[in-house]
Amino acid sequence: MKPKVAFFDFAGCEGDQLQVANLEEDILALLGQVEVVSFREVMKEHNDNYDIAFVEGSCTRLQDEDRLRTIRKNAKIVVALGSCATIGGINSLRNYKDLDSVKKTVYGENARLFDSYAARPIDAVIPVDAYVHGCPIDKDDFLHVVKSLLLGKKPDSPTYPVCVECKKNENVCAFERGQFCVGTVTRAGCNSCCVNEGTICWGCRGIVDNPNENSHKEVLIKYGLTVDDAISKFRLYFGWQEAKR
Amino acid sequence: MKIISKEDFKNFIDALIKDDSLNVIGVKSRGSKFAFAPLESAEELRLDYDVTLLPPKKYFFPQRETLFTYDLSDGFSAKNPEETKPMVLVGVHPYDIVALLHMDEIFRETKSDSQYFRKRDAAIIIGINIQKMSKWNFSSFMGSAAIDYGYDLMLTDLGNRYTINVGSQKGEDLLSKYANNVTLALARDMQIAGQKKREVMNMSQQKFDFPPELIPELLKDSYGKSGFWEKHSEKCLACGSCVLVCPTCYCFDVKENTDLSLEHGERIRTWDGCLLEDFAKISSGENFRATRPTRYRHRYFKKGKYLFDRFGFISCVGCGRCSSNCLPDIANPVNLFNDMYRENQNTGVQMATSTVQPEVNIQTEGNIDFVPRLATIIKKVPMTSMETLFEIKLDDGPELNHKPGQFVEVSAFGIGEAPISLSSSPTKKETFEVCVRKLGNVTTRLHRLNVGDKVGIRGPFGNGFDIDSLKGKDLLFIAGGLGIAPLRSLINYVFDNRKDFGRVFLLYGCKEPKELLFGEELVSMASRENVEFKPTVNWCPENEVWNGNIGVITTLIPQVSFDTENTIAILCGPPVMYKFVIADLKKRNVPDDHILMSLERRMKCGVGKCGHCQINQIYVCKDGPVFNYSKIKGVPEAL
Amino acid sequence: MKESNIDVEVHHITRVEGHGNINVNIKNGLIEKCEWSIPEAPRFFEAMVVGRSWNELHHITSRICGICSIGHTLASLKATESALGITISEQDLKLRKLALHAENLQSHILHLGFLVLPDLMGVGSVIPLASTNLPEVKIVLQLHRTANEMSNLLCGRTTHPQRLIPGGFSKIPSMKELIVLRKKLQDSIPSIQAVAELYKSLAGRLPDFKRETEFISLTDPSEYALYDGKLASSDTGAAPVKEYLAYTNEYIIPQSTAKWAKHTRESYMVGALARLNNNYKRLSPMAQKTAEEFNLLPMCYNPFMNSIAQLVEVVHSVEDSIRLINELEAAGLQPQPDYNKPEVKVKAGTGVGAVEVPRGVLFHDYTYNEKGICTKANCIIPTNQNHGNIQLDMKSILPQIIDKPQKEIELTLEMLVRAYDPCISCSTHVVKVSLT
Repeated sequence: MKPKVAFFDFAGCEGDQLQVANLEEDILALLGQVEVVSFREVMKEHNDNYDIAFVEGSCTRLQDEDRLRTIRKNAKIVVALGSCATIGGINSLRNYKDLDSVKKTVYGENARLFDSYAARPIDAVIPVDAYVHGCPIDKDDFLHVVKSLLLGKKPDSPTYPVCVECKKNENVCAFERGQFCVGTVTRAGCNSCCVNEGTICWGCRGIVDNPNENSHKEVLIKYGLTVDDAISKFRLYFGWQEAKR
Repeated sequence: MKIISKEDFKNFIDALIKDDSLNVIGVKSRGSKFAFAPLESAEELRLDYDVTLLPPKKYFFPQRETLFTYDLSDGFSAKNPEETKPMVLVGVHPYDIVALLHMDEIFRETKSDSQYFRKRDAAIIIGINIQKMSKWNFSSFMGSAAIDYGYDLMLTDLGNRYTINVGSQKGEDLLSKYANNVTLALARDMQIAGQKKREVMNMSQQKFDFPPELIPELLKDSYGKSGFWEKHSEKCLACGSCVLVCPTCYCFDVKENTDLSLEHGERIRTWDGCLLEDFAKISSGENFRATRPTRYRHRYFKKGKYLFDRFGFISCVGCGRCSSNCLPDIANPVNLFNDMYRENQNTGVQMATSTVQPEVNIQTEGNIDFVPRLATIIKKVPMTSMETLFEIKLDDGPELNHKPGQFVEVSAFGIGEAPISLSSSPTKKETFEVCVRKLGNVTTRLHRLNVGDKVGIRGPFGNGFDIDSLKGKDLLFIAGGLGIAPLRSLINYVFDNRKDFGRVFLLYGCKEPKELLFGEELVSMASRENVEFKPTVNWCPENEVWNGNIGVITTLIPQVSFDTENTIAILCGPPVMYKFVIADLKKRNVPDDHILMSLERRMKCGVGKCGHCQINQIYVCKDGPVFNYSKIKGVPEAL
Repeated sequence: MKESNIDVEVHHITRVEGHGNINVNIKNGLIEKCEWSIPEAPRFFEAMVVGRSWNELHHITSRICGICSIGHTLASLKATESALGITISEQDLKLRKLALHAENLQSHILHLGFLVLPDLMGVGSVIPLASTNLPEVKIVLQLHRTANEMSNLLCGRTTHPQRLIPGGFSKIPSMKELIVLRKKLQDSIPSIQAVAELYKSLAGRLPDFKRETEFISLTDPSEYALYDGKLASSDTGAAPVKEYLAYTNEYIIPQSTAKWAKHTRESYMVGALARLNNNYKRLSPMAQKTAEEFNLLPMCYNPFMNSIAQLVEVVHSVEDSIRLINELEAAGLQPQPDYNKPEVKVKAGTGVGAVEVPRGVLFHDYTYNEKGICTKANCIIPTNQNHGNIQLDMKSILPQIIDKPQKEIELTLEMLVRAYDPCISCSTHVVKVSLT
């Protein structure tokens, strides 16, 4: 009996679901192992009877919470897909702005129609069984999680930082190039893809479980970043996780 | 010594590159740094480099390597990875050559790593003497700034020409086949080359304040140095950079990967590092090196003491890569050891003036086999909600021939491998038993398998119990929880050879009655003569019936009277148990060397290579899992 | 059969990006309500970039959309580069054009193969087609793969491309890699022809509907404008891009968290059909031929033909990409340092970047202070600009199909929305921020 899977999206760019579509020929192999009963972006049909729910996007308003709780009730396994769902993602940047004034400025007297609160990962609302980190997710990482679930394995994510992968890929460290990187406290699993493309790690996979934050901030400042800039860097993706600390 | 012009040398390299049967790799620039990479033309070479980002060991022990691929669609078949073309490495510095020689000994020890040697033996090393030294390099202090062996050819740059030292017949043949205009060096050339080598000795910007040969001695007294390791590791980011770029590090992790059909897969090994948080963590969640200071300290001890004691060399070549890659700047061995030396001087501790050369006795007994043997589950007996006993038979016939106390690595294909102790005695022929607790991915999967399903078996591994030393003695078994499972292999052996042993006491404690394993079997053994069986539980819930002792395992010890002179105590249980039981046994004056124990750690390779099970200088998988307390009580990470 | 009471409530229409609702109430044959509404959660991107640095904006705004990531990044970079006075080399310009072609290919093929095709084949999704029409599905997947490989080569990846940075590229492909790419593109032409044949056989199922409207896109006399150009309207002609606000005129609609736009008429259309209508003569030779085979010539006022216009653009993008690679080969590819980061002199300024993404013309407008920190930002998304047109099309087509069965009305309205290939979550990021 093939497990039934469903895809859901909240506040996000749908880039993670696109990565699933980017599986190309592997989609056919995937369909050989699971039955897709709901994937709004790609199919008309919808069925509330599913075993595994993949959820992309952050929860950004109260009405989203009900939808999330329904999904949790229907599914045996809930997988958070992509940074917006796993850690709040780029959406959490706006948590530091004053939302009320923003809303009033935009919508005037209609503001009450558009409710919104601090953007948050879905595990702030419902328990989550597995995480596919990244902005966007890496499709091999997605397959790894799917295969783990099919094999009855608990999907794992590295607890070590991106530096491990960067060193294995023989990159020249960003700090040696006069740039500032948060890879030292960011969860690995992306194979340091952004540094491999010649840039830096922006932290999209979220902070590791036990970061030595003080040490990292000291490093940033030692190499020439101001304290404010260092804090600002951490707000890009770590906004929600930092606020929780 | 020979001589070749730089122009002719370029042609030599280009000729090698043109040969499709060779993989020519040299030092190229990368950003503002350098790295070994495949050469497309000799133009790309940067032989004036100071140090490469990663050492050449990445070609012999790659970051990611397939151990074997397997196909489950029709039974099970495994395939070793394809042969690769022989490599020519151009521009290896002496310290990296020394590091490769260290790695050779380490990979050869006990069980030889054929994947490493297949590539290593086919490779040709063209070394070059150091022209520029990075500011972190201290190889001249470690005796590796220059070397007279270990290469096929060694170059020294003389401006418009290179001198070549031929180090092997392979090197000689290479020159005659691909190089032109190679002539004998003149006396003047040899003089200049010698001069250049001497200059290298003064290039280092790092400086030890004491003779670095004394490092093992210095470390000996510094294990528990108050606050020292905490102070130095405070800024550690657990990023693993220091160990991942090190030319003499070789710890690895083993993982399994399948395709979407779940029928084809591969087992791979990847670089791992002891500085990473979860390196010594096991499925139950216990982490045997959970803090930064303990992990930080382990690296220095492994390089400067444990490997020295085992192999006779300090396993650091002074390349300086760790220091240059450490962002908070805490990884420089020179700074650390100088500070250690200074603290020693301040406390007035008398340090030895020379290091005792250890007695090195390295044996090799064949190759590591990473491919498991296929086996079938013959019987499956669930015992508790978490533990199931499996009886297994090897498909290819021969007996496992294990010793009591050994373990096997059990593969659940598609998931991975887990180390499980053998629970049956070798006197039981044709099949063997393992008791599996459902905890992680592999064990959960095993629990889902049924009679007739296949598993993979590697081993048996470990030292097992020294049966001869137990003969004629009284045996006091003390088991906690799942600890009864490995002890059962010895207990059953003893009962199959009853007359060889004296009285038998069996103390067994669990948290509550429903967790007791092998309950009926142990009771029936108790009914035999000269066997005293005392079980206990920490507490008994209301809905269960229990007539035995209630209390922790140590409450049973006073209840047995045994002859301390002739009794051997044999312990196995959760890590927390050992300290307390040993304390109580010592109160009864049981001599240290009459106490044996079986320890558990995270184990991957099973043969003392991957580094995960290491307790200080000991490999649990190879030097254990059975240990005599007298030998282990001085080992700080053991208990 | 005439049903006098029909309610069409499509809540979260499927096979489009983002969330949109169609609400139609017909009572006794009379249309009471016909509404296209957007309940998508607003994401406040323009608020998020205020206070961030010039070297971060492209990374943040890329996250507006997962499908048009490359387009957003390029529009963002153009705006920043315009504001700070940064120029890029001829070579980088060609490489960026290739990047945009890659995005067009990936997005159009996804739309044609996964989102529109099922309607024409009478199924709910591409999934059953994997069993009934496996060869065609494999062709679509293979074309999609080629497009993604092209994106990966030029940008690092399709979604949130890392290589695109202010002033150029952090890493560029080697000439060898571009030559391999060129061969892949050449080899894909038969597959594209097969898709065209398939669509030709199904084109009759596209409703024959017409409503005159205005078409807005970029335009350039020398090429089919995608990366650069002036702003053009089919009604009024060309104007510099920095005058975009006079064209877009956004306003709020209560039923929608996304804003709408209008210019000379009540609404206008952007996207492939708009581009084709405005720039037909600059299409590549093979693309024009493909358009002719479908009788798609300017001025075409049938929004359902937007999908065919996309097919034509697929052909154009492949042909033009091959031309660009030929030019790069002839000029010789200049190497650049590993981990390239162009020098930038930071100063205060304002800049507008406009780029054609698959769904239409996209504007990014930034203002920076002397420290290079963003003080104001405005983004106008193609789909925003289409919402009004969708609504009016719906109101216009409904009386024409009012006698059909409910299911057919629903399908036609959905197909109408899908034809626009809307990217709804992008369009709801819009927020005008005036923070004091």
